[in-house]
Amino acid sequence: MIKCNNLQKRVPIAGHELEILKGITLEIKSGESVAIIGASGSGKSTLLGLLAGLDEASGGSVTINGTDLGTLDEDGRARFRGEHIGFVFQSFQLLPALTALENVMLPLELQGQSNVTEQAEHYLKRVELDARLGHYPLQLSGGEQQRVALARAFASRPAILFADEPTGNLDSRTGDRIIDLVFELNREEGTTLVLVTHDSALADRCDRRLRLDGGALVKE
Amino acid sequence: MSMTATRMLARDWRGGELGVLVMALVLAVGVVSGISAFTTKLQNALVQESHRFLAADAVVSSGRPLPDQWLRQAKIDGLQSAKTLSFPSMVYAGDDNMYLASIKAVSEEYPLRGQLTYGIEPFGETVPATAGPARGEVWLDSRLFSLLDVALQDQVVIGDQPFLVVAVARTEPDQGASFYGFGPRVLMHYDDIPATGVVQPGSRVEYRQLYAGSEADVKTFSRWLQPQLQDGQKALSVEEGQPSISNALARAESFLLLAGSLAVVLAGVAVALAARRFSERHHDYVAIIKSIGATSGAVNRLYASSLLLLGLIATAMGCGLGFAIQAVFFELFAEQLPVQPGSSGMRPYAIGAATSITCLFCFAWPPLRRLGQASPLRVLRRDLPLEGGRAISDYLLGLLAVVLLMWWYSGDWKLTLAVLAGLAVTVGLGLGLALTLLRGGRLVGMSAGNIWRLALAGLQRRGLANALQVVIFSMAIMMLLVLLLVRTSLIDEWQTQLPADAPNHFMLNIGPEEVPAIESVLSEEGVVREAFYPMIRGRIMSVNSEELVSTEDVEEQRRQREINLTWSDGLPKDNTLVAGQWWSAGNDQALVSLEEDFAERLGIKVGDSVGFLIGSQPLEAQVTSIRALDWQSMRPNFYLVFPPKLLAAYPSTFMTSFHLEVADKAFLNRFIRRFPTVTVIEMDAVVEQVRGIIEQVSAAINLVLVVILAAGGLVLVAGVQASVDARMHESAILRALGAPRRLILGSLLIEFATLGLFAGFLATVAAELSVAILQILVMDMRYTPTVWIWPLGILLGALIIGSLGVASCRKVVSVSPVTVLREL
Repeated sequence: MIKCNNLQKRVPIAGHELEILKGITLEIKSGESVAIIGASGSGKSTLLGLLAGLDEASGGSVTINGTDLGTLDEDGRARFRGEHIGFVFQSFQLLPALTALENVMLPLELQGQSNVTEQAEHYLKRVELDARLGHYPLQLSGGEQQRVALARAFASRPAILFADEPTGNLDSRTGDRIIDLVFELNREEGTTLVLVTHDSALADRCDRRLRLDGGALVKE
Repeated sequence: MSMTATRMLARDWRGGELGVLVMALVLAVGVVSGISAFTTKLQNALVQESHRFLAADAVVSSGRPLPDQWLRQAKIDGLQSAKTLSFPSMVYAGDDNMYLASIKAVSEEYPLRGQLTYGIEPFGETVPATAGPARGEVWLDSRLFSLLDVALQDQVVIGDQPFLVVAVARTEPDQGASFYGFGPRVLMHYDDIPATGVVQPGSRVEYRQLYAGSEADVKTFSRWLQPQLQDGQKALSVEEGQPSISNALARAESFLLLAGSLAVVLAGVAVALAARRFSERHHDYVAIIKSIGATSGAVNRLYASSLLLLGLIATAMGCGLGFAIQAVFFELFAEQLPVQPGSSGMRPYAIGAATSITCLFCFAWPPLRRLGQASPLRVLRRDLPLEGGRAISDYLLGLLAVVLLMWWYSGDWKLTLAVLAGLAVTVGLGLGLALTLLRGGRLVGMSAGNIWRLALAGLQRRGLANALQVVIFSMAIMMLLVLLLVRTSLIDEWQTQLPADAPNHFMLNIGPEEVPAIESVLSEEGVVREAFYPMIRGRIMSVNSEELVSTEDVEEQRRQREINLTWSDGLPKDNTLVAGQWWSAGNDQALVSLEEDFAERLGIKVGDSVGFLIGSQPLEAQVTSIRALDWQSMRPNFYLVFPPKLLAAYPSTFMTSFHLEVADKAFLNRFIRRFPTVTVIEMDAVVEQVRGIIEQVSAAINLVLVVILAAGGLVLVAGVQASVDARMHESAILRALGAPRRLILGSLLIEFATLGLFAGFLATVAAELSVAILQILVMDMRYTPTVWIWPLGILLGALIIGSLGVASCRKVVSVSPVTVLREL
């Protein structure tokens, strides 16, 4: 499903190149849930950005469902993300000017789907926010905002969900509820889950753990 | 993409993101259309006002009778019309008294514009008249009462016809400033002319037809009339009626157009700044929608359609604001205006709309277009740099837009060039400053303990952004300084031309033997006068031995003409030499000095020889100098000046000018009785009219200056705002770490004040350059560097930018750092 071969990322800093990812090779199967763990600065978020097609690799390749992301330009990758990928971020990344409902409708509208309102309402109901459809992000608590983000991520029925520290900005109780929801929805929708976290308890709930250290995968 | 631009705009509006951009656009359109509408209406009003000096909207004059068919055509075209006839003639009173007067016969409709006034005692109060004298009656000039020894209700005779004296002729709207060879005025009815029998074919007379009506009707009629005009028939314009007014109007118009052009540039800069900030703040937004599948094309379409919609709304609002601005202006101004201006038409609003479209396309779109290229990776890494750097092509596009807009708006490439030169200086010097700051290496580290080092580190760290800011600040300050300088020199020049004690009476035909007596009478009365100038009537006959044509009907520049000559040992007061040398005192050679326009008309240069006929004696003189002089000074001015010894043998009279208050005018009655042959010409009414117009124009200029100052202020605010986020972020972190209020505000003040100091300096250099070009090329004024503008520009820059910067960042010390950081 996701194949990553000798994936490298280098960035120029003060006249020389800093190697952030040093040739990562991995494979994630369809429907699998995988946690990427590691210390700060180990390259977790960079790997996530490359796997999700948000960034371009300096070397190596990422193939998702047979499509080599390296062959796509930014617009091609955007379309690919819209059709195959969902995101949940640590900082929720809701659009502050849109209501909860409008935030969830957005990816569906971008795909040109019909019945977007009904679909969006369905997913907000699934995350138990059907009473708060017209609220703006600032009027919602952190947990509620992350639930809206979850609804938005699953509404476009992605094949893969990438989650970047989804509980990082939440207290542990709220975080637990969100994680329960992530796994429930994951099961229901048959989605592949790739999750970046510091939290080893959360990582333990995944089928597999991948540890990054200094930009390389290490055995646990 | 089905999420429409309307919904996005509505959401952005609710989120407060659009406020600045909309404000900038609305202001741009509002200020441009408002000023344009105001100046259009003001020009209309001033043109109407200036028509008072013609007593009509259009005038034709001729030495022979004008066809009545023209009056009929004028009526068909919906115009009013009037006739006048002026000629010199003897006026008799009783058996002994007679005097050569300047008679003006007017029809009932006269004047069509402006005010005719009369009095009930010589040199007394003036009273507005609804029409001229009735048939059988005349109004006499004040001095004729003494000269003819008559009083009101006495009889005078012109030609074969007796007339009853019913009033004192005081002022006519079209009496003009020309008086040489004219005797005192007698006003009579046009229809009484045949009865006098004084006007015969070949008499030296001037027939005039006057027309007035709506602007469109006058235009239609003038178009019809123009081809009908034959040799000797001439359409008069305001310029000929009153040169000092037309000069003032032309310069005021240049000023107002300059102000409008600067408003266009300021508006463009404000929109560019606002759009840039809008775009920076939308990067995260775009990153999110791109991460969930939006392509760059979709993002571009979204922002382009939003911008279009925004443009439409802002243009409509801006036109409304423009209408309100001009309405408020006229409300403030109504009392000072002598006439009600007509509508300004649609052009000002079309200019506003074009400004809006240009601002959107050339200033707002480039930064928004880059949003399409924003990296979706920002959803994971907010610290990614923004796709900010504006390409050279953006700046070129903006520059081209500014040039075209200014040129279209002012219709004057010299004016556009002058402003551009100033802008080029600010940009060039500004970039030089940027390079210096950036290349200077790291001068100081950020030291949180020292207010100066903190500020300096900040200045250097944001070198390029700061340089850009300095350029923007200096552009705004430069434009304000340019306006201030031009305004000040215009108004100063007007005031020097016509100070409160400017001469407002002329005295001619003073015999050489009368000079000492008159001198002592005037000084006994405490009258301040100019020098006595000798005056000799002569005729210019040839240039370099080539005889000039003698006909007077042909519109020929190089023709023989009667002219007043004078002599002087030294260069006359207020004259400046533009070529050649002045002669040494006591010189008796055949030399002459010419006024520059006169020399140009006749194609005469220094070294040429000019032939004159004085009385019956020929005189050949060599041109040794060309002089520039101020015709509006109300002092005796002469085209031709000779060395005293050369003309001493010719019979001459003397002239002078002096200032007399209305209350002191009774003195003239006594004076004329004592010196009956001396001609006194009252110019006080004309001087007052000119001063009145100039005051109105000055008031308008001051009002426009205030509006542009406000627009410039907004650009400064927008410029400061544009850089506030980064500074607030750093300051909030310092604050969170416990930095005291004084340290943060102090270093911000130093940082902004330093930027302001640089901006003020660049602005002053650029403003001097612009003003020099403007005054020399556009306004036809003399340029002198302004010393006071240097400290003012530099200090004001530091003060204004410093305080605006601190005011904009104040929140960082009044709100908790967490709140500040969360909002950024």
